Amino acid sequence: MHHDATVFVVDDDQAMRTSLQWLIESTGMSVQTFESADAFLANHYPGRAGCLLLDVRMPGMSGLELQSYLAREGYRLPVILITGHGDVSMAVKAMKAGAFDFIEKPFHDEDLLDSIRNALDYDERHRASQATRAQIAMRLAELTPREHEVMAMVTDGKSNKEIAAALGVSAKTVEAHRARVMEKMRAGSLAELVRMALIAAPESML
Amino acid sequence: MKRIVIKPFLFRLLRRVPMPLISIVVGVTAGLVVWAMLEQIQSRQVNKIFGQELEAQLDLRARESLIRFDRYLASYGATTRLLANYQRLSEYLEPLFWSREAAGTPLIYKEFRPYWLPDFFERDALSPPSHVLLTDTEGQVREIYQAGARPVPERLAVRVPSNLLDIRDVRTVIDRLGDQLYLIASDSMADAGGYEMGHLVVLVPVDDDFLAASQRGVDVGRAAVALVDGDDQRIVASLDTASLPPGTTLDRWHALYVVTSQTLPEYEGSDSNLLFATFVSQAAVEKMSRHVSIFERRQRGLAAAVFIIVFTAVIYLVSSRLNKVLKRMTRFSQRALGIAEPGFNHRGGNQLVLLEEWIQHFSQLVLAARDEMNRRHQAEMRESEALKAAMMEASLDAIVTLDHAGHVIEFNPAAERLLGHRRQDALGLVFVRECLPETAREGFSALLERSRRPDAGPQGRGELRARRADGEEVPVEISIAPIVLEAERFYTLYIHDITERKQAEQEIKGLARFASESPNPILRVTASGLLVYANNASRPLLTAWAAQPGDLLPEPWRAEVAQALAGVEQRECELEVAGQLFSLLFAPIADLGYVNIYARDITAVRRAEQESRQHQAELVHVCRLSTMGEVATGMAHELNQPLAAIVNYASGCTRRLQGGAGETEALIGAMGQITAQAQRASEIIRRLRALVGKQPPIRAQADLNHLVREVCSFVEFETRRLDLAIALALAPEPIPVRVDLVQVEQVLLNLVRNALDALEEVDAFTRHLGIRTWQEGDEARVAIRDTGPGIVPERIEALFDAFVTTKEGGMGMGLAISQTIIENHEGRIWAESAPGRGTTFFIALPLAVAEAEETAQQPSQVGNSNAS
Repeated sequence: MHHDATVFVVDDDQAMRTSLQWLIESTGMSVQTFESADAFLANHYPGRAGCLLLDVRMPGMSGLELQSYLAREGYRLPVILITGHGDVSMAVKAMKAGAFDFIEKPFHDEDLLDSIRNALDYDERHRASQATRAQIAMRLAELTPREHEVMAMVTDGKSNKEIAAALGVSAKTVEAHRARVMEKMRAGSLAELVRMALIAAPESML
Repeated sequence: MKRIVIKPFLFRLLRRVPMPLISIVVGVTAGLVVWAMLEQIQSRQVNKIFGQELEAQLDLRARESLIRFDRYLASYGATTRLLANYQRLSEYLEPLFWSREAAGTPLIYKEFRPYWLPDFFERDALSPPSHVLLTDTEGQVREIYQAGARPVPERLAVRVPSNLLDIRDVRTVIDRLGDQLYLIASDSMADAGGYEMGHLVVLVPVDDDFLAASQRGVDVGRAAVALVDGDDQRIVASLDTASLPPGTTLDRWHALYVVTSQTLPEYEGSDSNLLFATFVSQAAVEKMSRHVSIFERRQRGLAAAVFIIVFTAVIYLVSSRLNKVLKRMTRFSQRALGIAEPGFNHRGGNQLVLLEEWIQHFSQLVLAARDEMNRRHQAEMRESEALKAAMMEASLDAIVTLDHAGHVIEFNPAAERLLGHRRQDALGLVFVRECLPETAREGFSALLERSRRPDAGPQGRGELRARRADGEEVPVEISIAPIVLEAERFYTLYIHDITERKQAEQEIKGLARFASESPNPILRVTASGLLVYANNASRPLLTAWAAQPGDLLPEPWRAEVAQALAGVEQRECELEVAGQLFSLLFAPIADLGYVNIYARDITAVRRAEQESRQHQAELVHVCRLSTMGEVATGMAHELNQPLAAIVNYASGCTRRLQGGAGETEALIGAMGQITAQAQRASEIIRRLRALVGKQPPIRAQADLNHLVREVCSFVEFETRRLDLAIALALAPEPIPVRVDLVQVEQVLLNLVRNALDALEEVDAFTRHLGIRTWQEGDEARVAIRDTGPGIVPERIEALFDAFVTTKEGGMGMGLAISQTIIENHEGRIWAESAPGRGTTFFIALPLAVAEAEETAQQPSQVGNSNAS
């Protein structure tokens, strides 16, 4: 399964930490535990695959604070919050702030493990799309400014002649630019090029 | 003077005669007079009309006879034309030629009719002609038909004169030929070839037979007709030859007949002057005239008789009516006027005269009465004048009388005092100019105007300012009474000094403003609930009641007013209007039948009270609960940790063992962890118990009843929400206990809340919560009973153990803690329950040893500690 993924557990209660590790490792996933939010931030770097299991109540930076900090900093790690009895309002707040799931203590082991699996799946998908987008961005970076323009117009559905008229060059030149774009972007067809443009849109095409 | 002499004589005569008799005499006389007058006028007129009518009749008859005669002659003309144009005649003439030279004696047919002459006359019932002549164009007679023995008259024997012939047309002429009258009718004739041959001339003798034939169908009984020779007035032919033989002159008959004669003007061609005369016998005329006059006389007699009857009847009716009137008047005069004997007897004598006498008598009586009344009236007038003068003198109001021009004509002493003029100076002054300031003049003339209006009432009353002689102005009330005497108008002014009243009014007005200026609503209501006054501030109340001054209050408030009046003491109640709360004070004014309502807006006060009470209750509530709640929450979190860890270890172990991947050492380590965590959990609970028990006891003397009441006030909000009233059955005397007030209240609160929670699960109408306190031996006891779902017996055993709960959100610590607290107080707590019927919790605490000074002090301390 998620062999490269790690479940990060942050809980101030040592017994809780260890017991969670014991439980999760029983499914074969790797676990890394931290006794506080600061400890986690000190040892973590973005981009690591996995999910974050976070106790809401902690001395120092609380679970919610850590979650919102991570969201602000652009960490895409899915967060599962563990709440105590009667902390439902806090859980709702967490979900609104973008938590992946929350689970109430004392919990059923299977519920927790299911939630972790879902989180890891999500993380993997997210990462894959992230990788594609990075690749497309890399290829886009190879394009000259003129080729950028041509690609934008092509994916906008304009014909060669329209593009030529808009840029003030001959249709033949546009044809040449277009061929180079297809080549650089490694797009087999126009449809593929459009899909790439859509995936890359948030970063490059605005 | 003369009349007076005649009258008594006539009267004496007439008095004796009764009316009916007079009426008959007068009626008969009048009837005879009418008869005579009609005789004079009517009969003469009737004769005249009769004569005219007769003449017209005769004239008409003569005309008719003449027309018949004329027609008869015309039919001869027509027959002559037929004869002249007869075919056989023209055929007969065809071969003939009459030469002028050969003129000799004419051919005469005697005794037989030639074949060209048909018998047209007999067929047409005309008298047959005596001769028919054929002449040539010159008038020379060629052929003659002679009917009788008589030859052709001399004048026509050879030649027919041309004045008797017409070249083209038929010509009929009556003429005397010899001694005989003839009708000569001629027409021209031609032969078959159309050649003009001459004339055919028919001669008919005009005699009695001719006349009779012409007048056929006419009744000759009364009137006879005759042809008269105009020259010698002799009858030529007549219908009635017996009585009017021809040859006699007309003069002879004028005595016997009425004669009308008319000329026959058409026959100009003839030499003779013939008259056509109608004779009516005088005897017949006279007879008819007699008939008419008899008829007329009869009629006249009838008219006179009717006149007499009607006249008499009318007068008789009038007299009988008069009799009745007299009878009544006699009775009336005897009864009403007290005239014992009017001096006449209605039974005998002439009623009219009696009536006249009576009326004279009566009018004398009336005159006497009028004189008497006049005398009395003058006496009264004098009296009233004196009275009036006295009133004028004594009146407290100034009384001034003005004439129509506004001059003062009467001025009483009060007016002297009020206006400062002396009476003799004031008389003749113009009131408006002297006694009123300029500003008041317009108002005065308006008053004057109003007083003149015909509809009665005090229109001419008003308040003005008057000016005294010294120039000072005084407020006065003036009432004007107009008096109309013989087309002249006077005004009496009653002037009342209202200076004092004005001042009093000002004061009252000032006082009245108290109410209107009050920021609080003030209203006045009559006993029947009629709103008579409301100041400005009472607008919200009026809006709520939908009433204005003058309206009735809504029903419940009227009842309230009635009760306030009945009680004669002030009542107070509250009214909420659109978020504002008013306190209404009903102050009855019994002797005036009013109720004054003083309202106060107590919204803010009440709200503040309520808020502070609520606030306090909440505060207390929070205080009481916070200890227990905090402990419970913290404990829950703490317990969660080891429990969750235990579960995790256990699950991890299970999974490893299931997966077969468990290394014994690691598993043992995990098991050790489980044990350690379980110990940790029990340590937490131990710590908690120690926490509750460890607190140093603060004991104070208190009344258990008081504690219960306080707790009840804490849960007031919950009970109100459940619409539930806690039934308190507290011991009548205080139950002294020596306890930690806060802790015991916590226990009670816990039990009451449990009970409320339990009640929430059952139907609203079965909810009941009761608290009872009593003493039993040396124990104070409280029982809290609810009608909730109850507890099954198995669970009752473990009820007070920790972590046992029946509630979804509960931790099961409440009762455990409660038990700990009560046991710390050397007391007991237990429960009894019947499932489906409810649960009762009991607490028993030792009674405090009564210490006189302590019990006296303690309640105040308790109060303080509660308030803080």
